[in-house]
Amino acid sequence: MIYFILGIPLLLAIACLLVKKQRLLGILNAIGYLAVLFLSAILLKQIALSGVTRLFLGFICLDTLSAFFIFVIAVVVFASALYSIGYIKKDIEKGIISEKKARIYYLLFNLFCCSMFFVPSVNNLGMLWVAIEMTTLISAFLVGFYNKKESVEAAWKYIIICSVGIIFALLGTILFSYAFSISGLSKSLNWSDMVPVAHILDKNILKIAFIFILVGYGTKAGLAPMHTWLPDAHSQAVAPISALLSGVLLKTAIYAILRFGIIIIKGVGFAYFAHLMILLGVISLIVSSGFILVQKDLKRLLAYSSIEHIGIISIGFGLGTPLACAGALLHVFNHAVTKSFMFFGAGNIVSFYRKHNMNAIKGVIKALPFTGIMMLLGVFALTGFPPFSIFISEMMIIVAAFTKGSYLVAAILLLFLAVIFGAFINHFGKMLFGNLPKGMTKTSEPLTGKLAFLFLGLLICITAVALVFIKGEWIWIVQKLFLV
Amino acid sequence: MCWGLSQVFALFWEFSMQSIILFGVLVSTYLMVIAKRTPALIRSFRYQSFCLFLATVIIALREHELDLYVVAGLLFILKVVFIPQLLYRTIKKIKASEELGLFINPQLSLLWALGFTYLSWVFAVYLIGAHDAVQVIMLAIAFFVVLAGIFLMIFRMTALAQIIGLLVMENGIFLLASMVSGGMPFFVEIAIFFDVFVSVLIMGFFVYKINKFFTHIDVNKLSRLKG
Repeated sequence: MIYFILGIPLLLAIACLLVKKQRLLGILNAIGYLAVLFLSAILLKQIALSGVTRLFLGFICLDTLSAFFIFVIAVVVFASALYSIGYIKKDIEKGIISEKKARIYYLLFNLFCCSMFFVPSVNNLGMLWVAIEMTTLISAFLVGFYNKKESVEAAWKYIIICSVGIIFALLGTILFSYAFSISGLSKSLNWSDMVPVAHILDKNILKIAFIFILVGYGTKAGLAPMHTWLPDAHSQAVAPISALLSGVLLKTAIYAILRFGIIIIKGVGFAYFAHLMILLGVISLIVSSGFILVQKDLKRLLAYSSIEHIGIISIGFGLGTPLACAGALLHVFNHAVTKSFMFFGAGNIVSFYRKHNMNAIKGVIKALPFTGIMMLLGVFALTGFPPFSIFISEMMIIVAAFTKGSYLVAAILLLFLAVIFGAFINHFGKMLFGNLPKGMTKTSEPLTGKLAFLFLGLLICITAVALVFIKGEWIWIVQKLFLV
Repeated sequence: MCWGLSQVFALFWEFSMQSIILFGVLVSTYLMVIAKRTPALIRSFRYQSFCLFLATVIIALREHELDLYVVAGLLFILKVVFIPQLLYRTIKKIKASEELGLFINPQLSLLWALGFTYLSWVFAVYLIGAHDAVQVIMLAIAFFVVLAGIFLMIFRMTALAQIIGLLVMENGIFLLASMVSGGMPFFVEIAIFFDVFVSVLIMGFFVYKINKFFTHIDVNKLSRLKG
């Protein structure tokens, strides 16, 4: 199963070299990733029932956590592939990119997705590092895709800051392997070998190693204060890629932190892990809320909101009760879905108005009725309004914080969520309503883009409803994951 | 008298060789920190990589492992020959000024480097204790090289200097990995080499682009994106 999930993106990448027509390529992509989505759903079910599975000489090792992240990636990648068809076609019609460049886009898109699928599948922590670095290198081209001054600058910052960050992660990985090798066990970097023996590893080295890991992968995950590349890269990338970056690339880094975190929890104790995660989470929340309040650029606003949500996820894992972990894991999924939904909307708006500046954007609902209404729903979903899925996961984390007795964390969460809610409603209220600027008329939107919206929108609503019924099972699964 | 003279000599030779090579790494890193022009920086980077190559060869001779010879060979081809050549060519092609653009002048940089050396020494002792002198020195120098790489990335203005800073950090980590934990698993080592190779190519590509769009490679002046 996993071979197909890793193989299909590669096959699609090869197809990009052979197929000349970009429209056909786009459709092929969407079909391919639909298949990946189904396969990953089946995989998730299989792994959840059967437990840890090793394949390919132990090179690939899957447990429920990895299968879950693969599923999240598959969902967003499928939606993004669907949305790309219409978006790229529009760009070609407007003469922003050429037909040949569109093929390069699809090639990079597939390679990027392939490298992201590798991250949760590999067993070796060194290979995990290589896979994450590959995602940076490939997506740098997609950030600098439009070849403007701003996008080249963003790509440069992205590649340099993330490479430096990730070198720290390599340092941490080596220290982990050092701790493993001086404990007298055979040389190995596989997490499946490390977790069972974590309690006999040297605590001092593990502690320092985890700080390096947290700084390194935290840079990639966009945790403040290492987040500086994130708003630049997210705002300059092609819209479907912004969705991928924000929706799942950050989550792959979170996955890496969790993998090391599980070793740390067993080796050093839970409090150490918890304090660091909560600290970084709270800083991210505070920093991002400030930038969200004063933001003028639409896509940067969404990028800062990603930092906020990564902060919430990190707080959730830091609280560490089964309910909080369940909430955080669920939040990974909900944020991925909702944020890609918002980035698709932002992409439509920016390509219509040709501006990122929110002051210049007025009357979206009149200009792009479908996108406008979807964005209106999306804003409420993203800021955690009741009928939508993010509300449930945020609620789980906050309730967990109260029941655990971490009142300060809960209070900070509630306060800044309220601030961010207000800021978002203010910004989007001004943009969505009002009259159109002169000389602009209502336009139609491509069908594939609408389908992508509906797919994600359905997921947002279904998760919320489904959770009411299967909350018990969900918490049970998470409990099995973390409290092994 | 259980040890023959030749064995003692061999042991002495090995340890002193190792220290000499480590000393070479240290000196080349200091040269980089005080360099004013890009070609000098690249040359010192080449010296540093060559020292690393020698260190790896010595470990390979001791352990008689084929993997390590391959790693040493790759190191030589990539970091001693290919990457410096690529960087030299980039300088020539973009015709940018060879000045590095120092935020901190060489004398002050030297002081910083001394501070870093002390810090990494303290850190190394904290990490593994002072009982094993050779290992502590190795660890200290590895950390120092990493710190020097960060220093170069932060306090030098051109994009090329940032690439070299990144490579220096990479070298430091390579030293750490090969000395402390007896090397990473072989395929991981190969994958990391491939990764470094690709990242240098891609960064070189972006340096061309920055030069094309901004007509300079001064990253300090890249400030269009804010907030």
